[in-house]
Amino acid sequence: MEHSLIEAHGLVKAYGKRTIVGGLDLTIGKGEVLAIIGPNGAGKSTVLDLLLGLRQPDSGRVTYWTRHPHRHIGLQLQSTPFFPGFNALENLRMFAAFYGMRMKDRQLLALLGKCGLGESAKTDASRLSGGQQKRLAIAMTLVHDPQLIFLDEPTAALDPRARREIRDLIGMLASSGTTVVFTSHDMEEVQKLATRIVMIQAGAIQASGTADELLSQHQVCSLEELYIKLTEV
Amino acid sequence: MFTIFKTMLAGIFRDGHTLFWTILFPLAMLAGLGLYFDNQAYSERLLGGVLTTNVLFGSAMVTAFNVMAQRNRGVYKLLRATPFKTSAFITAMTGARTALTLIVSGCVILMGVIILGVSLHALSLLMMLIVLLAGTVCFTAIGFIAANLSRDESNVNMISNLISFPMLFTSEAFYSLQNAPGWVQLLGKLQPFSYFVEAMSIAISPEGAFADIVMPLLILIGFCILCLAVAILTFRWDSERAAGRRFRQKQTSSY
Repeated sequence: MEHSLIEAHGLVKAYGKRTIVGGLDLTIGKGEVLAIIGPNGAGKSTVLDLLLGLRQPDSGRVTYWTRHPHRHIGLQLQSTPFFPGFNALENLRMFAAFYGMRMKDRQLLALLGKCGLGESAKTDASRLSGGQQKRLAIAMTLVHDPQLIFLDEPTAALDPRARREIRDLIGMLASSGTTVVFTSHDMEEVQKLATRIVMIQAGAIQASGTADELLSQHQVCSLEELYIKLTEV
Repeated sequence: MFTIFKTMLAGIFRDGHTLFWTILFPLAMLAGLGLYFDNQAYSERLLGGVLTTNVLFGSAMVTAFNVMAQRNRGVYKLLRATPFKTSAFITAMTGARTALTLIVSGCVILMGVIILGVSLHALSLLMMLIVLLAGTVCFTAIGFIAANLSRDESNVNMISNLISFPMLFTSEAFYSLQNAPGWVQLLGKLQPFSYFVEAMSIAISPEGAFADIVMPLLILIGFCILCLAVAILTFRWDSERAAGRRFRQKQTSSY
């Protein structure tokens, strides 16, 4: 496991009689930007939960590069879970404390500034715009300087400007050496950011590779075309 | 944990709704009813009733709403992805709620002494503090249980009311149950709020001795342990389903 951060083998997860993830094998390499794509209900979020240890697989195993994965992994959920009534700075302070980081306000403000929220530090998190809330959620994943971050649909329901700002932020993180795993329905975003793409359908990997490899293998011109082709019933 | 406690307390004091319901409402209730009845013996009961009712609603109902809101927003799911222990988070949350309860209770007691002329000696205050601490922890745990049993806002409202109001009505917080039907008195003996009220009444009473509160206090502490155990057993990490233990998969060492 020299250059991989996480290795998952034969992950199976079912709820009742419905199998959500069926025998999934996945490796996350150090420094890569991995996009997990697939239709709604394909099991992407469940795969993230299994990789993060937030849910136990029915069978299979996940191996981490470190004994304390939660100290080195950041997570941004699809929802933006902030403490009600807390401003951006206070939310960040809370999460810094959760990770055992003793950070001064100026350090927290610097991180907010890095995420484009320097002016909004004292604004109630619930009053931030959709794009600002996503950026705050990403700032919260970065507060402990993680080696690996998981972003679950980081640009969903955002306007084009906010989407671009988030993409720029992800690009900046990737160029600084942080390993990024994200889910998305935006194929343009996936094409721009991902160094590897994994397509999940019905809880199993249907295709995996770089954008160029996938386009060439499936003889299509765009990722959107590939997505349509692979999700056709 | 102190940072979390401090930030939570600051958040509570900035929340207008919380301040109104937990500080202004009991003070207004105490002053209004106290001046209306203008009776020394009833003033003592009223002080105990307002203090205990404030803990019941302030701890159980507010905690239920907060826990459910935080869980449904995904805060607990995110918390699980951090090294921070959930038990420490719950402790910090309960600590902030307890600190608020003590501050509010201090204001209510002060008003009871100044406006209603209730006389309290040092031992009374010490006993009241002990009773308040046990009651706050017990009813905060009940708030967690209500949140754990709820799915959404309307659910949590209904469940908290279903838990809180019968406890209030089958207790002697504001009136005596001496002439109440037997089944009401029986119900009163089966729930913690009655013992909380009883212990508080003894603590406030000028004749109250420490030995007198031992039994209701022990029963209250027993309920406290039971409710904490149920709160932990029924705790849900997210709105969908209870989750298992984290990071139990095989792990390897660092590079």
